[in-house]
Amino acid sequence: MTCGGAVRLWLNIPVTAWTGAALLSLGVAALAIGLKLVLGLNGENMATLVLLQISAVLALAIFSGNSGIVSFGHSAFMGVGAYTAGLLTMAAAAQKTALPTLPAWLAGHETGLLVALAATAVVGAVVGVISGLPLSRLSTGSAAIGTLAFLIIIHVSLVGARDFTRGSQTFYGVPRLTTLWVALAAAILMIFAARLFRETRLGLALRASRENEVAAAAIGINMRQSRFLAWVASITCATLIGALYGHYLGAFSPKDFYFDLIFTFIAMLIVGGLFSVSGAVAGVLMLALVIQLLREAEAGVDLGFATLPQIFGLPQLGLGLALLLTIWTRPNGLSGLGELRLASLTRRPDEVAPKPLTLQAQTTPTKQSLAVRDVTVRFGGLTALDHITFDVPMGQVTGLIGPNGAGKTTLINVICGQQRPTSGSVTLGGQALSALPAHRVAAAGLARTFQNIRLFDRLTALENVVVAAQGAGRSRTEAEGIAMAELARMGLAARWNERAEAFAYGDRRRLEIARALALAPAFLLLDEPAAGMNPAETDRLIETLERLKAERDLGILVVEHDMRLIMRLSDRMVVLNKGQKIAEGSPDAVRSDPLVIEAYIGTKRHHNDQLES
Amino acid sequence: MMDIILQQVLNAISLGGIYALLALGLAVVFSIVGLINFAHGELMTVAGYVLFLGVLFALPLPFAVLLAIGAAALAAVLTERLAFRPMRKADATSLLLTSFAVSAILRVLFQNGISARPKPVPLPSALSGTVNLGPVHLGAVPLASIVVTVLSLVTLNLFLKRTTMGQAMRAAAEDFQVLRLMGIKANRVIAVAFGLSGALAGISAVLWVAQRGSVDPLMGFIPVLKAFVAAVIGGLGSLPGAVAGGFVLGISEVLFQAFLPEAALPFRDAFVLSVVIAILIWRPEGLIPAKTARRS
Repeated sequence: MTCGGAVRLWLNIPVTAWTGAALLSLGVAALAIGLKLVLGLNGENMATLVLLQISAVLALAIFSGNSGIVSFGHSAFMGVGAYTAGLLTMAAAAQKTALPTLPAWLAGHETGLLVALAATAVVGAVVGVISGLPLSRLSTGSAAIGTLAFLIIIHVSLVGARDFTRGSQTFYGVPRLTTLWVALAAAILMIFAARLFRETRLGLALRASRENEVAAAAIGINMRQSRFLAWVASITCATLIGALYGHYLGAFSPKDFYFDLIFTFIAMLIVGGLFSVSGAVAGVLMLALVIQLLREAEAGVDLGFATLPQIFGLPQLGLGLALLLTIWTRPNGLSGLGELRLASLTRRPDEVAPKPLTLQAQTTPTKQSLAVRDVTVRFGGLTALDHITFDVPMGQVTGLIGPNGAGKTTLINVICGQQRPTSGSVTLGGQALSALPAHRVAAAGLARTFQNIRLFDRLTALENVVVAAQGAGRSRTEAEGIAMAELARMGLAARWNERAEAFAYGDRRRLEIARALALAPAFLLLDEPAAGMNPAETDRLIETLERLKAERDLGILVVEHDMRLIMRLSDRMVVLNKGQKIAEGSPDAVRSDPLVIEAYIGTKRHHNDQLES
Repeated sequence: MMDIILQQVLNAISLGGIYALLALGLAVVFSIVGLINFAHGELMTVAGYVLFLGVLFALPLPFAVLLAIGAAALAAVLTERLAFRPMRKADATSLLLTSFAVSAILRVLFQNGISARPKPVPLPSALSGTVNLGPVHLGAVPLASIVVTVLSLVTLNLFLKRTTMGQAMRAAAEDFQVLRLMGIKANRVIAVAFGLSGALAGISAVLWVAQRGSVDPLMGFIPVLKAFVAAVIGGLGSLPGAVAGGFVLGISEVLFQAFLPEAALPFRDAFVLSVVIAILIWRPEGLIPAKTARRS
């Protein structure tokens, strides 16, 4: 996609991400080489460690930063990598004395670092798959504890597998192959991997589900699958970095990969910024310095006139306080949500009208309808919906109204696959929506907005819409064009690069509609689209929807309390009361229906009488 | 033989009981404020040290025990006031990390303020002996531990079902907004939840110390890790789930300890946690999932 002659995407990833990563790499490399030049061997050692810490924190960020689930397990997975690679590269003679009971098939390989890393990557991927399968099934809160269970399981296994690891004794004789240059290469690779991963289809989908699980499912994101894939990638990276860390240390034991290590990494990631790769790097640099200073102060400091006492665990205390202060004062970390980028390269994508998808969705016949058939929902003794049947025809606007408690929300949840009906079904083009998991409903051709707006708050307006278009099977380039076109339709094109959380109420509603339209749905469900809008905004919304109806082959179901909007917009109306359908027909017919008048005005008069008496 | 089997069953139930009390403390707080409290283990440590001081100054044992439990409850309320109240609006991850930091800070303070080494807590000999029930000899501590656990669970249940505050807490666990409708101050409910969770940590600490005979700055770390796992197996935020999860975990630990072959014993925790993961694959929401109000 070009704009003003400049390239916006390269390999389907924004150029700003590439240049940002390159800039960050340059900075880190300059710092590392500077340390070596100024401080000599000591500086080289320090720089190597910091580069490895950067790499490890970024491996953690690939999963935690994008999914929002903090992993406590990564240090242990690094341990797996360190022991695996160490067994392979160790000199045969040293191995005989250190590990006399090592099985023969593992002994005496004396491979080079690259071969060992390749083997470690395989082990890492396998371990990642095994741990990822249960983890991706857990809810967000439980998943964090799940990673804690992995930390313990792996730690206990490393201590227990004495034949391979010498148990809790020091595992020694690993050649120190991780030089400054190796660590620098690793850090640069990880900077690019982590920064670019954020922008991939998977990374963007995961960030969307981090911001709002329900909305992510509604645009077709399979959160479990996204979490699983990101976890496997992140764990594979972590074991590789662990292998390098092992070859930096030379001698280590299981406790080197336990709580203290992951605590350090988490503190670095959070202080710098969980949601930003640049932030994570800054956090490592800052806290590495703090740890270094505190470690020197740990033995007590002589101030000349007084001596500070020796404080055991001072670095830990410092990290704890840094973590606490960051969460209190800057919950998104010191860097906030921003990424390092060259502002002059930030280009606005062109608007492109969507080409029909060759894959799915739009190939369905146009004269189908969304059919609600005999739907009943009971919650215990309460019948929320009682044998409801109606159609939402293609090319028309169907209005759904009813007083509070009529069952509108329950009906919407049934249609969108969030609530299984007790009996009956909802079908679209022969597919039973009511039997699909929530994330498959979008692909079947139904998009929706929410009564309590659900946006991806910490994503930009463009990203909010792009993630939906990608969910419908578009490439990033196509998705950006479609997203800009939908943003322009809703009057938001000028604010494409602002984060959704900065938008005012009416704009948020419009952004949500743009996101739903980017799915290129056959049917659109709008849940109280005018709630909280002022009359001028409502008028503009009505105009936009009327234009939409004329432009696209689209069936719309609107649930609304605003009578002016629904009477003007609807071709047909369905009225619910106390779980039953009491009327269906043209707006005029419904308006004069005595049952409807009683449900709305009758009860109100009754209510007023009560108030007056 | 009979002795050994019965003793193992008793051990299993008493260990499960301690995990259950700890998991319950975590669940009470989680159900109301959405916090997975890493610092729960440090509350145990506080209770442990107060008990140590009580015994050191030769206070009557019941008094020392009550003091220890009270201290843990007070510490819980204080951490809420100082560390968690500023975070009332934050998401689950920030809350979790806050408690993670608080826990690390407290641990360093214990290590420097008291001692990094374990301190022995000599308990009266009546507790270290055995109880003879006819031909069967059973350890006094596990028995006492089971009695205390059962009493605590019954009392907690009565509190939650019969008192206004208890009912308010149960309502808040399902839907926090209800508190406003009931006209009960949210801060009070939260403070009581923390106090309760601290008291439960205190009771578990006393039982734990009674079995080990010493306290150290890291004493709460391992049992609370286990309690996290128990709370997740049971269903995060579900009180009956926490109790069930605690017992499942404690009983499977003792069973594995008793029946694993010698060579596999070092891997006991790995086996136990694999069972846990199998349970979670079967029921991702836990054994007895928490009820929460969902709004679309």
